[in-house]
Amino acid sequence: MDRAFKARLERRFADQLTGPVRQRHDETEIRIGPGDVTQVITALHDEPEFRFEFLADLAGVDTGEVMQVVYHLWSITTADWLRVIADGLSRDDPRVPSVTFMWKGAEWMEREAYDMFGITFEGNRDLRRIYLPPDYQSFPLRKDFLLPDDAARSPGGGVRPMERTHIPQNAPATAPVRRVGG
Amino acid sequence: MTATTPRPARDAGARSHDHAGSFAGTPDDPRVQLDRDLGVFEPIPPYPPRTERESEFYTLRDGEMFINMGPQHPSTHGVLRVVLKLDGEKVVDLDPVLGYLHRGVEKLCENADYHQAICYLDPLEYVSSLFCEWPGVMAFEKLLDVQVPRRAEYIRVLSAELNRVASHALFLGWMALDLGGLTPILWSFIERDEIVDMLASLTGQRMLFNYFRIGGVNGDLNHEFMSRLGDWMGKATEQIEAGNTLLNENEIFVRRMRGLGSIDSKAALRMAMSGPNLRATGVPFDVRRAHPYSIYPELDFDIPTRSEGDCLARYLLRMDEVKQSLRIIDQCLHQMPDGPVMAKLPRLLRPRPGRAYAGIEGPRGQYAAYVVSDGTDQPFRMRIHDPSFIHLQAVGLMMPGHLVADTMAVMASLDPIMGGVDK
Repeated sequence: MDRAFKARLERRFADQLTGPVRQRHDETEIRIGPGDVTQVITALHDEPEFRFEFLADLAGVDTGEVMQVVYHLWSITTADWLRVIADGLSRDDPRVPSVTFMWKGAEWMEREAYDMFGITFEGNRDLRRIYLPPDYQSFPLRKDFLLPDDAARSPGGGVRPMERTHIPQNAPATAPVRRVGG
Repeated sequence: MTATTPRPARDAGARSHDHAGSFAGTPDDPRVQLDRDLGVFEPIPPYPPRTERESEFYTLRDGEMFINMGPQHPSTHGVLRVVLKLDGEKVVDLDPVLGYLHRGVEKLCENADYHQAICYLDPLEYVSSLFCEWPGVMAFEKLLDVQVPRRAEYIRVLSAELNRVASHALFLGWMALDLGGLTPILWSFIERDEIVDMLASLTGQRMLFNYFRIGGVNGDLNHEFMSRLGDWMGKATEQIEAGNTLLNENEIFVRRMRGLGSIDSKAALRMAMSGPNLRATGVPFDVRRAHPYSIYPELDFDIPTRSEGDCLARYLLRMDEVKQSLRIIDQCLHQMPDGPVMAKLPRLLRPRPGRAYAGIEGPRGQYAAYVVSDGTDQPFRMRIHDPSFIHLQAVGLMMPGHLVADTMAVMASLDPIMGGVDK
């Protein structure tokens, strides 16, 4: 854990942070609002005290209440992985600015997050489904998309508060919604 | 209907049935077979463009044409369809179409418990399975705060570096095969089979090892593995040199690869590339050194880099890496400590709620896993980052201006595995 790095982050992004800077093992985590993504990513990439030039990963997360977009960055200025969480995207219409202006290689990762979660990345020139066929309707990695056979047999089936019935906004009207477990 | 009859428009209503004769409308009508909609295998998608980029790509200018490469093309290393936009024999632009191998591994992992999830990670990249297991296992260990025994770490590094040599050997063969040379693949399969048989005696499987466990590895080193490894180590350097000579001194190969598909370090970083493909542009980024994990800080090895960033540099860099892997294997064998190979853990794992990210350096670049735990026995979210996926995207940046036949050469030099691309 790099305490000095935490202090630098707290000082520089005092206005943007929506939660405390968390550190565990070799990771440092900051949370920001979706509106600040462009500004924070540009600062992290360009400013000499950060220089996060390597985008290690971009992932979508559905917590059941909100959507998140998670960026993992690496820099030569610290020994920690930096995790930037763009938190609090609405589940009905998740929107976040694209980071393709900085890393063109994020384009496919954003397409994947769109494909799996339905997150709209504003500014991505090629935001279409990447794995699933173009006429596919739902977003399979959302928590309301259940695998009935597997989930019902698992010890967590029906126990988790997240696995409750919820119809995605763009799901076809005829889509069967199945309640799994107890 | 004869073969010279022009093919009618795609929608069924526009078909002309004037010369159908007595077969009209029956299953024997030859035109029914000829005119059927080929659906997804048409280069132009049968729906209006959805994005700016798609409408730009699927608009032809004067003299341009589309051609489909795949999905059953032998040099796509899996099932991939690439729509090429050509001007004469020059590639103007290309649009890879993915998803033919998509299995939804992330969702499957989220519906399995922590032990079960590991076996879904193996088939991601079936030529370097241990590197797919490793980040997943490492992320779970971080969530659980498990201390892995040192002997287990050494065995992990040893087996993984062997797997890296096997993967790079296969890369050499495939690359030559895509350029039209048949001999290297036969040679490299000898190399690769020896390693794979060796790992089979250690793990019990030839390809999908499923060997790493949360907190260690599945079994200790055994006599058969050690004796096979000893035999192989004695002749490995010589064998690999012989395989390299086959290509390094081949003028046709070298002249074709030099200057092909080049990318500079800035563009490579913007494409989020990693691994050998990034190091071939001169950026010395290797997760083993940049963000040390396991026992790599204790080992002595170099990070080879090259500055050209073309296909030849990527090929030569991988061959340099093999030599470093042999050094690491040698050191592992000499420094291997005694002790247990598994940490003591309960059967049912329930890590505290939290998030963990683990990245490792594989033969293709950074493999990573990001796991979110909600306190139950299943990962709440399991994100798998695969370097092949990222690198395949860079083909679009490298290809414009090159010939159609070079598409395979460029793709082979990036070494993507479709199992990992499509997840």
